[in-house]
Amino acid sequence: MTSTAAAPCVGCHANRASSLVQLGVRPGRWDYLVALAGNPNTGKSTVFNALTGLRQHTGNWPGKTVVRAEGGFELHDARVKLIDLPGTYSLQAGSADEEVARDFILFGRPDVTVVVVDATRLERNLNLVLQILEITDRVVVCLNLMDEARRHGVGIDVAKLAKELGVPVIPTVARQGNGVPELLEAIHEVATGAVTTAPFRIERHPADVEAAIGTLVRTIRESYPELPNARWVALRLLNADERVESAVRAGDLGDLSERPWLEAGETVAVESDPGASPVGERILDHATSLRWTLSPRFHDSLTESMYGEAQRIAGGSMVRGLKRTKFDMDRFLDRLLTSKRFGFPMMLLILALVFWVTISGANVPSQLLATLFIDTLHPALTGFAAAIGIPPWINGLVLDGVYLATAWVVSVMLPPMAIFFPLFSLLEDFGYLPRVAFNLDTLFKKAGAHGKQALTMCMGFGCNAAGVVATRVIDSPRERLIAIITNNFSLCNGRWPTQILIATIFIGALAPAHFAGLVAASAVVGIAVLGIVAMFVASWLLSRTVLRGEATTFSLELPPYRPPRILQTLYTSIIDRTLIVLWRAVLFAAPAGAVIWLVSNVYIGDASLAKHLIDVLDPFGLLIGLNGVILLAYVVAIPANEIVIPTVLMLTVLTLGLGDLGSGAGVMFELNSASATGDLLRAGGWTLVTGINLMLFSLLHNPCSTTLYTIYRETGSAKWTAVATLLPLGMGFSVCFLVTQVWLLLA
Amino acid sequence: MVSPAVALLIFGAAALLLAGVFWPRQGLVARLMRLAALTERVRLEDAVKHLHDCDYRGQPASVESVAGALEVTRARAVGFVARLEALGLVRTSAERVVLTSVGRAEALRLLRSHRLWERYLADRTGLGPAEWHDEAERLEHRLSPTKVEALASSMGHPVYDPHGDPIPTAAGKLPPRAGFAVTALRPGQAASIVHLEDEPRAVFEQLVAAGLAPGMQVQLLDASAERVRLLADGRVHALEPVIATNITVAPTEGLPEPAGPFETLADLETGDRVVVRDIAPVCQGPQRRRLLDLGLVPGTEVAVEFRGPLGEPIAYRIRGAVIALRREQAELVRIERDGASVEAAT
Repeated sequence: MTSTAAAPCVGCHANRASSLVQLGVRPGRWDYLVALAGNPNTGKSTVFNALTGLRQHTGNWPGKTVVRAEGGFELHDARVKLIDLPGTYSLQAGSADEEVARDFILFGRPDVTVVVVDATRLERNLNLVLQILEITDRVVVCLNLMDEARRHGVGIDVAKLAKELGVPVIPTVARQGNGVPELLEAIHEVATGAVTTAPFRIERHPADVEAAIGTLVRTIRESYPELPNARWVALRLLNADERVESAVRAGDLGDLSERPWLEAGETVAVESDPGASPVGERILDHATSLRWTLSPRFHDSLTESMYGEAQRIAGGSMVRGLKRTKFDMDRFLDRLLTSKRFGFPMMLLILALVFWVTISGANVPSQLLATLFIDTLHPALTGFAAAIGIPPWINGLVLDGVYLATAWVVSVMLPPMAIFFPLFSLLEDFGYLPRVAFNLDTLFKKAGAHGKQALTMCMGFGCNAAGVVATRVIDSPRERLIAIITNNFSLCNGRWPTQILIATIFIGALAPAHFAGLVAASAVVGIAVLGIVAMFVASWLLSRTVLRGEATTFSLELPPYRPPRILQTLYTSIIDRTLIVLWRAVLFAAPAGAVIWLVSNVYIGDASLAKHLIDVLDPFGLLIGLNGVILLAYVVAIPANEIVIPTVLMLTVLTLGLGDLGSGAGVMFELNSASATGDLLRAGGWTLVTGINLMLFSLLHNPCSTTLYTIYRETGSAKWTAVATLLPLGMGFSVCFLVTQVWLLLA
Repeated sequence: MVSPAVALLIFGAAALLLAGVFWPRQGLVARLMRLAALTERVRLEDAVKHLHDCDYRGQPASVESVAGALEVTRARAVGFVARLEALGLVRTSAERVVLTSVGRAEALRLLRSHRLWERYLADRTGLGPAEWHDEAERLEHRLSPTKVEALASSMGHPVYDPHGDPIPTAAGKLPPRAGFAVTALRPGQAASIVHLEDEPRAVFEQLVAAGLAPGMQVQLLDASAERVRLLADGRVHALEPVIATNITVAPTEGLPEPAGPFETLADLETGDRVVVRDIAPVCQGPQRRRLLDLGLVPGTEVAVEFRGPLGEPIAYRIRGAVIALRREQAELVRIERDGASVEAAT
């Protein structure tokens, strides 16, 4: 990165581009850069989709856009790049999301910043609009959710609002595409400068602030007599705005002028060596000493005056007295879904329903895929390979190892995910998830954890790696770590097949035949609930020991319920969740297949490597009620839990020396019926306790490698990745050991 | 195969042993690491800090006071002071030990690190107030100057630590000491708390438990040799004079008269509609900003919508949005039932 601190570089677009790369924007060719800002849950992502035609996933819970999305579109022959910033209430509280948004508006210097505003809560949203207007004047306000506002009896005098704010205001219903052409037109006009804006700015501050601004402006003017927005710079310095400070320190103050894009010379305020400019140091010194003179309520009064103005402007442009819909559906639903009597039962019911639909719906397509990939294609491929004379070991490694493992993962994982993720997205769209967090919050508080951990926990039922990424909505580092480490206790999709099969064989069989299915299903839901309990226990333990601390401030917005759009949800959640998760799983499963084939076919002495490893692991496995086969299967299945069962079956056949089952060493298979599988497992020495322990161990063990990699990437710390690995593993070993030994003691 | 009873016993014993060795803070490993951390450098740094503290308060420092502060024998303290003198950090004259300018810069660097850590622990970690100081004492010796600056910038360059003490700037500037002990007030006189002394810990814990915090308004009701009675937020606190001297106050000018006791958002019933008065001074840093950003500024109307199935959290309608707060946060927002007076004031 070259620093351009010293000389202004005339007209170099490249420098802005490099600072944008620093801000995480993919380089590319575009004519205008447009940023999309707004409060959480104002339909920002929907506006993004409406503008770009991209199908970014949208959801009805605050803080959904945790990864910044970007897209592009054409507008009057100009290429526009659109950046979706994280939703924030303000640019000042200093959470990671807010910093991303603020830095982008300040240093990415978008040609236009579109602020999406929820028309139903104009006053609250204007707070952010006013803060953005303090930084840039190239703003278009998108007044979204106009339909909801009308339903709530809120009307807005758009022309008056636009006059007050001094920037274009466009009413939209982005979900239906209403107002989008007008929004595009306004973006174009502001980008090209066809419309000049005169943004509203707060002029008066409390006396002590005004005094401090006054003296600081004099100091700044001594060195930069021509700086147009010295007042703004002074206020930011009194607020300890780090980016402004670093620009001042580097002597780049000129670049922070109000309309940098209109100047001939474009330079970028890249962070350069501190202490580069003695003038800057003097200004900073003065600012720091002034900060001691300010009342501690300095920040309070700034926020107060923002909200005061927001209230005045909103009040002036609201049209009241419109007809409201009589029945307040939101209130009714909230009272029901969070009530003392029905809150928790409804939650369990919905959880069980989602599981049931996923499991029963996935059965048939899973079978079809398995028949296609494993029963039909695999023999055909093997036959073909043999016919053209490929050496058997390559054939084994590639087809029996890599291909089969991948085929297993796809056929076992794709159908449940393609059902679970859309269901989850529907709940998300509807707005139920924040209510889950609301209901469970007291428990999370007792465990010393963050209330939004409930959201990431729910996500984890689909895929733990996705759940770990979702923890970005938690802004306290301690609580985020707890959420990351304990996400693995949400029983993910990849582990359900194991649970269901084992529950059917060992637990369902205990009940009379016509109850067997129900008993087995309850056992699986029981394990999932046990996982939630384990998550609370682990969170509590962590916040009492290595991550000591009390739960911090937490507020949860409960957005209005919105009717989910079923078709679009199906489409987007399959595209951006299911396929991405599946692709990652395949990437990790393919090498695992090779390893499985190799350990079963590489011989040391007279036994395969697998046999040796099983013999080594067996004593420990038996001690905790499992066996060497299961442990080995879990070691090689670290990349993807889906292949545990086929690997277990293959290894069992290998150790029993049953030649007639399966298709050879290192070839994974599954039997057609649960009872046949049960017979095989019992022949391998399995009992009811083995079954129960396997279910427990499948819940309580190390995360899969995809999740581990995600944890490492999110925390950037090998230490916490190790904790996330060893904690559930230790819990799993201990729980299985205790169950087994107590069972033996009582039996 | 071992018998299950034996296996369980061995497991229990192993679990206890592991816990004893690795338990955070009280475990063997933690104790050994603490001991190892108390190197000579740390001792010397603590001595420098003590000398600066005396200087800042205008009290004389001596070898005896160094020995007292570090909890070592006089002989060892003499050794430390000699070492500091050799390093050019202090000068000794007669009984006095005085910091040189190099020593003062070093002391301010340590103080900056210490107070930044306290700010960090208070704002970002959720550690209780009583633990800030001890933890910061440990952490202050660990960071290089660049890391300290990174810490400061990650928090937006705070000016005060959570006890109300100014944080020295990176250039080593510190404003002169302001304020005086609360006991110096005349009966009936009001002032605002600017600092709560965090040492000794037991005293600080008592002050925190009483609900006192920097930024709060106090009024001295009466003071005698046995007892000092203070009125803070409408509640009367009776403290021993020796404890009350740990409260530093500054005169209130232009601030409203002390009032209270206050009702808070946590005291309301479902369906109540009230107006925000302010956010309690005890709530600082990002947590305060977050509440403000939710729109909980003076004069805001708030209605209680519904409660969670376990009685908590409570959902409030604030400026058009339904927002759930935990009891602890709701208690920080002070309200007025009769909105008229506040609205007139703002």
